Amino acid sequence: MDTYVLEAKNLTKKYKKFVAVNNVSFGLKKGEILGFLGPNGAGKTTTIQMLLGILQQTNGTIEYFGKNLETHREEILERVNFSSTYVDLPWRLQVKEVLNYTSYLYSIPNRKQRIQKIVDVFRLHKLMNQEISSLSAGQQTRLNLAKAFLNFPDVLLLDEPTASLDPETAYYIRQFIMNQRDEFNVSILFTSHNMAEVEEVCDRVIFINHGTIIAEDTPENLPKRIHKSRLELMMKDGMKRTVALCEEYKFAYVVNKRSIEVEIDEHAIAHFLSLLSQKKIEYDQISIKKPNLQDFFLEVLKHHENT
Amino acid sequence: MVHSIDRLSDMFYWPTVDLLLWGITSLYIKNNTQNVPNIVLMIVSGILLWIIIWRGQYEITVNFLEELWNKNLVNLFVSPLKLSEWIVAVSIIGILKMILSLTFASLMAFFLYKANILYYGWYLIPFGASLILTGWAVGFFITGIILRYGTKVQTLAWTAIMLISPFSAVYYPLSVLPLWAQKIAKFIPTSYVFENSRLFLFKGYVNWTDLWISYGLNILYLFLAIVFFYKSFTKAKEKGLIGLF
Repeated sequence: MDTYVLEAKNLTKKYKKFVAVNNVSFGLKKGEILGFLGPNGAGKTTTIQMLLGILQQTNGTIEYFGKNLETHREEILERVNFSSTYVDLPWRLQVKEVLNYTSYLYSIPNRKQRIQKIVDVFRLHKLMNQEISSLSAGQQTRLNLAKAFLNFPDVLLLDEPTASLDPETAYYIRQFIMNQRDEFNVSILFTSHNMAEVEEVCDRVIFINHGTIIAEDTPENLPKRIHKSRLELMMKDGMKRTVALCEEYKFAYVVNKRSIEVEIDEHAIAHFLSLLSQKKIEYDQISIKKPNLQDFFLEVLKHHENT
Repeated sequence: MVHSIDRLSDMFYWPTVDLLLWGITSLYIKNNTQNVPNIVLMIVSGILLWIIIWRGQYEITVNFLEELWNKNLVNLFVSPLKLSEWIVAVSIIGILKMILSLTFASLMAFFLYKANILYYGWYLIPFGASLILTGWAVGFFITGIILRYGTKVQTLAWTAIMLISPFSAVYYPLSVLPLWAQKIAKFIPTSYVFENSRLFLFKGYVNWTDLWISYGLNILYLFLAIVFFYKSFTKAKEKGLIGLF
């Protein structure tokens, strides 16, 4: 049986008749990075707010380290932290003041050394005397992350931590997050709309839509649930006959000038290519795109909306 | 506060305006009437003692509003900070700022009108303690309302305390109020303090029974206000603290 550092059981949040989160249960293992994905309005932020204790759930329980959040709030929150691109910092304070007051809020030992270390990691040296209001969105995100790592958290809730960062900084931050996990066994709940990032960083992924978990697996296994690949052919001759063939066999397709992209089951690719050959259809380039997490995300959403 | 010019000016600007306006008015009254001794000290003391209530309430309410405006409430309450610790912290900040503001205004009153607040001696301590309790009670009650209804009712942070000022008899004896207002004043703890400040000014003693009544009322109101604040905080958590702004 898995032991979880964070476990949500039957979590439900209702606003009058609207159900924002519906009977959601999941666990976060020690040292795991768990992706929490879903479209806008799916219930991700609502769930995170409940996990942080700033939103009261209608039903269900939240446990960290085997202890109930409601009854052991302070003890738990000393070992937990959070960063969101969408939560502001006190805009009149300077960067050094924000780090300083955060270190007091979490009663961090050896404050000065810890702040110095975090400032080094998040490259905040030059910003220390600047007011928050003067920071760019990317700089604020870096500070938010610095704040989140300040108390050596055992569990971190990161809500789109790399949104608004330039690609180089985002890459650096992703590496840092993974290093922290490797070095300190930090458990991280990670939301992002960047599927490539989720594939790179997360050990496991939960998909949520309309407040309900609709899929849960590793980022590698989830796309395998889609059996359809995308076969792209750069046509030399026979575009009309290829289209006719697709319609005959009911394959979804998209025509782009000289190329055609066919959505096709992996095991049917060989048969389809032999049909093209029989009909003397010529193409000069071929590529097969295997489904990735983004394809899975879109497919699952389409299926979920239809049902 | 260091980065907030408006918060800094609040501490000094309004006491200065009040002292100039009411101090000059009382000088005029003093020069044109024979029967009211110590009129300047009476009015100036009213201004100075009112600073205590005002700062007690204002620091709690506006501190909370600042956290709301800065959307910093989430940062505070995702940390291990307890609500009770926040309450103690803003109350202490309230006392410190009140001392700063009162010292400034007292020095100004002394240099402008030769009105010395230290005339009350040690009685300043029971007077001040009672007044700041009232300020805190009003502060937590108003903050509770803001927690329930959000920033659309934020104007209460500046206006609500003024509702008790006519019944507190800050600048005049309670007896000049109409009978119905005097009955209301019996439930306003500050009225006992201001009446006692005048009693000491004119007769040299204080009525301890009245002062104890003011403390009794204050403790009751502060208890109720904090309970209301806690209940409002729980209610706000049902809607989500992020959604408060």
